[in-house]
Amino acid sequence: MKLILSTSNIMNGGRPSVIRQPLTQKSNVELITSLRSNFVASQAIDTEVPNGTNGGANGTHTEKCRDYSTWTEDRDSALYIPAVDFSQPGLSEERDQYDITVKLFYLPGIPASRRCAHTREAIDLVLKELHVKSIDLLIVSFPGILFDADDDSDDEGSESSGEDDFDSMVQTWHVLESLHEQGMIAQLGVAEFGSERLARFLPHTTVKPSVDQINLKDCCVVPKSLILYAKEEKIQLLTHNDCNDILPVGTTRELLGPADKGGAGILASAPDANDGIQGHIETQWVVKYTAVVKDRGVVENKGYFALADVGTCVKARS
Amino acid sequence: MGLLALGTALEWPEAKKKADQVRQWGIEQLLANWRRAKGKERDALLWGDEVEYLVVALDDEAKKARLSLAQAEILKSLARDEALWTAGSGGDGERGEHEGEKPPHFHPEFGRFMLEATPGEPWGIGFKDLLKVESNMKWRREVAKAHMAPNESPITLTTFPRLGTKDDYIQPYYPPSGPALRSQFVPDEIANPHIRFPTLAANIRSRRGRKVELNVPVFKDQNTPSPFKDPTVNYDLHQWPEDADVRNGAAKDDHVYMDAMAFGMGSCCLQITFQAKNMTEGRKLYDQLSPLGPILLALTAATPIYKGFLVDTDVRWNQIGAAVDDRTPEELGEAPLKNDRWRIPKSRYASNSTYISQDPRLRKEYLDPDLVVDEDIKNRLIEGGMDDMLATHFAHLFIRDPLVIFSEDLEELDLHKGDHFENLQSTNWQHMRFKPPPSEKDDIGWRVEFRSMEIQITDFENAAFSIFIVLITRAILSFDLNFYLPIPRTTENMETAHARNAVLDSKFYFRKDPFGRRAPRHAAQHSSHGSTFSSTTSSAVNTPPPSPPLGPVETEYELMTIAEIVNGCPDGFPGLIPLVESYLNSVNVDVETRCFLASYLDLIRKRADGTLWTGAKWIREFVAKHPSYKHDSVVSEEITYDLVKAVEEVTAKEGKHGSIGWELLRGKKN
Repeated sequence: MKLILSTSNIMNGGRPSVIRQPLTQKSNVELITSLRSNFVASQAIDTEVPNGTNGGANGTHTEKCRDYSTWTEDRDSALYIPAVDFSQPGLSEERDQYDITVKLFYLPGIPASRRCAHTREAIDLVLKELHVKSIDLLIVSFPGILFDADDDSDDEGSESSGEDDFDSMVQTWHVLESLHEQGMIAQLGVAEFGSERLARFLPHTTVKPSVDQINLKDCCVVPKSLILYAKEEKIQLLTHNDCNDILPVGTTRELLGPADKGGAGILASAPDANDGIQGHIETQWVVKYTAVVKDRGVVENKGYFALADVGTCVKARS
Repeated sequence: MGLLALGTALEWPEAKKKADQVRQWGIEQLLANWRRAKGKERDALLWGDEVEYLVVALDDEAKKARLSLAQAEILKSLARDEALWTAGSGGDGERGEHEGEKPPHFHPEFGRFMLEATPGEPWGIGFKDLLKVESNMKWRREVAKAHMAPNESPITLTTFPRLGTKDDYIQPYYPPSGPALRSQFVPDEIANPHIRFPTLAANIRSRRGRKVELNVPVFKDQNTPSPFKDPTVNYDLHQWPEDADVRNGAAKDDHVYMDAMAFGMGSCCLQITFQAKNMTEGRKLYDQLSPLGPILLALTAATPIYKGFLVDTDVRWNQIGAAVDDRTPEELGEAPLKNDRWRIPKSRYASNSTYISQDPRLRKEYLDPDLVVDEDIKNRLIEGGMDDMLATHFAHLFIRDPLVIFSEDLEELDLHKGDHFENLQSTNWQHMRFKPPPSEKDDIGWRVEFRSMEIQITDFENAAFSIFIVLITRAILSFDLNFYLPIPRTTENMETAHARNAVLDSKFYFRKDPFGRRAPRHAAQHSSHGSTFSSTTSSAVNTPPPSPPLGPVETEYELMTIAEIVNGCPDGFPGLIPLVESYLNSVNVDVETRCFLASYLDLIRKRADGTLWTGAKWIREFVAKHPSYKHDSVVSEEITYDLVKAVEEVTAKEGKHGSIGWELLRGKKN
């Protein structure tokens, strides 16, 4: 079964967790805290209300283990955690007032062969959430690439280092190019590419990346070679503050695990317990979307979706 | 300062008779304009900074620094060049890196030794624009300097240390005690000669019934006499009736005494104006920025010297307040109310007293219980269709009398103009200003001005603070932050900000949690679409959960240090800088810009935690360490000369490589 985790709009009205620990505030903290608070808020809406009408305190144990069905939604063979109401308007003004940036994190250990499907899945969710037909910029983050300002040699570690291999990046890029072709994405971007990697990558592309996103901590020490190369190739160097491993499997399990351990009570507490969904869990991708009002610089909508496979649905890796 | 109209300015007794007419016409103009502009929508964020300079003339032989009164000539020469530039024929030379940028604008200010400079066109929120601010400020300074005499330069000290002393601190020299200011310390020629300015000063004095009175506590150094009696005060002058003020106790013991508008309005500030997308957003920004005013005042503190003495306060604010305080003894509460309409707790120049946003988060407990409002004016505005909140705001501003009235303007009411409205609006110098779109221009929207900051010695600092405020507004709007604080607490904070080294030693009231409760969106979506969920629950889902009652207002805020407010504290307020960074992490910023922004934010972070000094502290230390300083609070001509030279060097070298001023800007010598 697929689990679709979502934060809803994290800019909107008080999600203190988002900025609580600013110094450690990497995107993974933002993602995890906002997922958690979205779960809690959605649960609260449901637990407060039925009191008295549905037996209240008499809620039986068997009921309790199915508790999450009240605030999640099972739709098209996916479990939305929490339920997402796509009929709500995503943006308050017309589409052309916004810059919509989406960053898709392909996760480590997930076969590149799934990326075509994953990309579509992720983009579709964002389009549905924001009620738009296209996005302005899609940045993809390949697992295992680390930008190192001190070392721009970009020593291409082979497959053994756990880094994405070059061919699969190129293949993935072709998928993105086709989405660009269809008008779904105006501009494409990569993250953490050094100049050497860019130089190797560009000849394989029809639609060149217009953006290369570099980790914030390096923004003042970007190697000159990269600055010059990017300028020459008209690639914008942007900053980000995202975590390298944005949603580790263990974290997903914790988030969705039993309530007494601070989780959302979706997954079974033990392999054979029937208090939740049983089986292995494997996070497939994470997508972050941001809608900024162009000429006012106001972030109106920002959120995340993450998709995990659980139980029998976890596919064998090819 | 806005455009300067010419005409016959009325002296106070005449002006007073016309006050009601000007107010009434001003209100009609406001209403007409408000009706026209209230629906204005989707204006872009445009913003502008205003930098003010003192023009100093250095006499290297005599080792003297004087204020230059050459404003008019400098402005004339600048205007000639601007016209040439605009005509495309170049002016006097190098545009260099500013190719394509519009030439900066220069404006007169109250002091004839001052200049104000603004960018040639407003800034946007394009992050590339933010990069241009500092270099544009530097350009403005260069352009201004190029139009001055070789020994003159624009410096960005808030006040001139020896303004009002017995020596020849101005060039050319004029003796004090003129008919307009009647000051025993400064001549009338210190003010811009345009009729508006001497009239403003004279009518404030007349309305008040005596000279304005500034008493700033002296800084008691080891050799400062105690009690300190300002030795520069002459008790034996008999030229004007006002010369009796000092004999009636105007000069207080242990204070530096000053007696003219020039001592306040001659201060340089850093002011930022934003255009909001519509009136609603403007009203929100006005409210949300208001509690930040005192915080930024303390952070930018740069005013430790008046009239040749170190004083015990760090900022200019209250001195300006006193310098334009036109309240009568009755309004001040010194005499029973007989002729005047009310007691007024604050000067026209003071922290603001209203909130104006129609924001559900605005609790009535936040409002100023001492607010004075002209009920007739408020009723007229409400009758004209304005909501209660905004009507209250303007009916509060309009408790004041118009100070400068030109008789030519009273012949006919022109509802397409805003002159009478602006007459009151622009002489209410509160720390926030809410500006309706100008009546005559369609392409300008609702604006908010942030007015509390002190000018900084370097353009790096001035750019840093300007951009910081811009980014704060974006964070406020993006995160829908809530900084609401009861207005009397902001008023108190403004006082607190005056204390010597308040930036490190004082605590300020600030809201603990700037975030609202969870957005109702989810609740709404749940209740209205309950049926789409697989439900073991009942239809009772349709009732949204009741919102818990609000706690007492006093539990919403607490006393914090500036460091806690700016940088955040664990488990407490998240901090203005982390909020701004969080905003920046949510938008696409290129590496170069982000690196620049990081250096600006770093300055502010370190000012707040004490790693870097404020201008006030740096100036104090400079004086204290000067070989000729006698630890008697006196800032001599020699020290002033050296200070001005040092300030010029700081402006040019910005404390790099251990150069002077590194404590302000670098925090370390290399």
